[in-house]
Amino acid sequence: MKGLDTPPRSIIDVLQRAGANESDLIAVVAGDLDAGGRYGEVWIALTASDLFVVWSPGTGSRPPEKGGSQACPREEQVERIPLAGVDEVTTEHLVGNGFLVATVRGEARRLCQFTNSRARAFGIFARIAEKVRKGEEVREEDYTDGRPEPFCPRCGRLYPNPDRAICPHCMDRRALTWRVLSFFGEYKAHVAAVIVLMIIGSLLSLISPYINGRILFDEVLTPGGRYEGRILEVILVMAAFSLASIGVSILHARINAHVTAHVVAGVKARVFAALQRLSMGFFTNKQTGGLMTRVHSDASHLQYFFHDGVPYFIVNLLQIIGIIIAMLLLSWRLALLVLIPVPLIVLVLKKAFPRLWRLFTRRWRATRGLNATINDALTGIRVVKAFGKEREEIQRFSRRNEIVYGVSLQTGYYTSTLFPMVGLLMQAGGLIVWSFGGWQALEGSLSFGTLMTFVYYLGMLYGPLEFMTHIVDWWTSAMNSAHRIFEILDTVPQVAERPDPVRLRPMRGEIELSDVTFEYEPNRPVLKNVSFHVKPGEMIGLVGHSGAGKSTITNVICRFYDVQRGAVKIDGVDVRDLAIADLRAQIGIVPQETFLFRGTIAENIAYGRPDATMEEIIRAAKAANAHDFIIKLPDGYETVIGAHGQDLSGGEKQRISIARAILHNPRILILDEATASLDTETERQIQEALKRLVQGRTTIAIAHRLSTLRDADRLIVIEKGEVVEMGTHEELEALQGVYYRLREKQKEALAIRGIAG
Amino acid sequence: MQDETKNHGLSDYVDIRYLDPATARFSETPGGFVRLTIGEGETYPRVALYRAFPFSYPDQYISVRDMDGNEIGMIKDLRAFDEATVRLLERELERRYFTPVIRRIESVKEEFGYWYWTVETDAGPRRFTVREVQHNVVRLSPEHVLIIDLDGNRYEIPDTGQLDPRSRRYLEDLF
Repeated sequence: MKGLDTPPRSIIDVLQRAGANESDLIAVVAGDLDAGGRYGEVWIALTASDLFVVWSPGTGSRPPEKGGSQACPREEQVERIPLAGVDEVTTEHLVGNGFLVATVRGEARRLCQFTNSRARAFGIFARIAEKVRKGEEVREEDYTDGRPEPFCPRCGRLYPNPDRAICPHCMDRRALTWRVLSFFGEYKAHVAAVIVLMIIGSLLSLISPYINGRILFDEVLTPGGRYEGRILEVILVMAAFSLASIGVSILHARINAHVTAHVVAGVKARVFAALQRLSMGFFTNKQTGGLMTRVHSDASHLQYFFHDGVPYFIVNLLQIIGIIIAMLLLSWRLALLVLIPVPLIVLVLKKAFPRLWRLFTRRWRATRGLNATINDALTGIRVVKAFGKEREEIQRFSRRNEIVYGVSLQTGYYTSTLFPMVGLLMQAGGLIVWSFGGWQALEGSLSFGTLMTFVYYLGMLYGPLEFMTHIVDWWTSAMNSAHRIFEILDTVPQVAERPDPVRLRPMRGEIELSDVTFEYEPNRPVLKNVSFHVKPGEMIGLVGHSGAGKSTITNVICRFYDVQRGAVKIDGVDVRDLAIADLRAQIGIVPQETFLFRGTIAENIAYGRPDATMEEIIRAAKAANAHDFIIKLPDGYETVIGAHGQDLSGGEKQRISIARAILHNPRILILDEATASLDTETERQIQEALKRLVQGRTTIAIAHRLSTLRDADRLIVIEKGEVVEMGTHEELEALQGVYYRLREKQKEALAIRGIAG
Repeated sequence: MQDETKNHGLSDYVDIRYLDPATARFSETPGGFVRLTIGEGETYPRVALYRAFPFSYPDQYISVRDMDGNEIGMIKDLRAFDEATVRLLERELERRYFTPVIRRIESVKEEFGYWYWTVETDAGPRRFTVREVQHNVVRLSPEHVLIIDLDGNRYEIPDTGQLDPRSRRYLEDLF
């Protein structure tokens, strides 16, 4: 038995006793809800002749038909349903869960319930069961649903997002760090220079307290010192060290800025290129919506980390080590005493600061919510005023404002307690130095200069220590950013070109869909066994209610998505075997939502063919009935779209997009509700333009208003993802079926609006 | 069952047909579904129930539809029906809107933008993964929280005030 779920020994034994040998099992699937709707276990097994339902023992687990409040069974309960009496096996999808339903002798029966996590497996199971029931052969590919495997090949864990083959466990942070560092590969010399400069800088900063303390007090100011009275020289040396130290840090910061800015710009460029390469499916996936908007800030986040985080980590680490060594060399006894409070400080910082960061995050989120409210009310000010809801908006704002106030207050209280406490602990180190060091100095076993040096060193120690306590969090969040970036860089386009694809230039424009089944989400087929054939040069109208699957048909023809079953063929070649560039170069789309890029009208018309001459652009515009209005614009074809507000109407934009398609000169043209949102006069002009565009091309037109499809050679009526009627306008009228009824309804609607239908 | 070619006036679209407890009879089918008979002749061998306000009024304004998704009528208030019917319909609704109530949050761990939850629900213990918490942990009201996991499973916390302090802290950190 291949695929789906592997039952444990106990279930196999139960099935055996019920009459199903292990070798007879065709498919087994595990449900995760028991009959009482609690999380539990149920096993459904399929043999060539029967369906078996095995309820595992446990709390609340009972076969549904027995009902009532009977005691929980102590052992598995098996039910056998002979396939001979089954008319259909399907899954039904509800909110957050689904059912496996068998229709037994005309009566629908709920076999079991499962959460959405198991929906895919049950969908596959139901399809296999249907094949077995109909006596069809079950093949290897029936055990998958054409989607990628949900497991990570390295660790075998389930991917958190089955559509994206990325395992967060196998992408550990250390490996990530190395991968991020590999971006710096071409700047090896720069990085080496930065590190050397940092070491020099750290040494310089360590020497300063020694001169300021030991040398100044013991050798210059103390009678009998080696440099007694040579105060000017010492001050000059001190100044020189300070200058050198500043010079070094300026230099290293500049190199660093140069490198990180370059690297981050490079990362952004790679992410954008990766995004462009990805399939449509990636962009329509709900879970990625937020991901995309965060990529930009993630790259900046990385920049901060590498610009400010990593260098200061190195500097601070060197400082801490250097200071401790220096203190131990000066007086190891005093050094050890001084270091006593350090673990305590580190502990406090580690405990207290995470709470502080959480408070900061909460404050940030609350502020963001407040900003959203302001934005909402101000953008919708027309509606607010029209409904006279100013007072309610003020109240809504106040509620949000109060939340921000509350969090700010909490944060304020916390910081005003935390920081003095931490300060106190830090002073404790100073007190130790003064008391023990002072005592030793009085005793004469420690020089006053050494004592001063100690005080300086101690002051230099806490900053880096505090930094170290949150560098781990910083690193973690930077790696999260890196993870999201790599997630995009690593996502394999679902629609991929096969190696050595078929070239098809020029194509004739013949389209064939054979038995196409397609689903955006598992088990929710949008197209079901759709088959039709379009001759080269033919114009087809796709008709049906919204949501019937018309746009999806055009999506699979363009191969924005790959179908799960069946095939889409162009000129007899499966689109999956075609070179994607050839396919897209010869398919043109005029969508309902026209999209014009920032740039001139001429650039927009020539989008598909940037090498087009001025004459070609004007001709395309003329064919699209756009020339006249473009010429009247002050800047003509060089009008920058979107430069001075919305200067083009919907109809004008639509005509530019038609001109774009005309210039692109595709063999196959898709008109997706191209005239839906226009007034009658504009529509007439556009219809005219479309008529010119359609000539000599294979055209698939989707239109809500059936009257606009009068020129179509044939109409295909789609209902709930299936082709229900096909034929010429007259044939379908005569059929008095779905098309007829749609037309009647539209006539009525037009009559209501006072327009003759 | 119904005539699609029938001429609908505007009022047919906006009028709500309420199912009268006196004439509408719901019964359980042998397969565990719900059958509806209205008056004498009108029978639907299987109907589906939809809540109009699943969170605020789970027992009111319930749309009863045939298996093609066409509305037969609405139940204004479930409690107007007899006890057995209420039980039957409530069970059916609970099955459709499977949304376990989280009683306690054992842990919420974040890794690379995925939030791994371990919780105790009224349907038993459960572990699940949420991505993009800002979008998938929804505050329906200040105290009412809905959580949607990666598979589209839903979990509900009707009143965060009822949670123990630890669970509440896990939630607070998310908002």
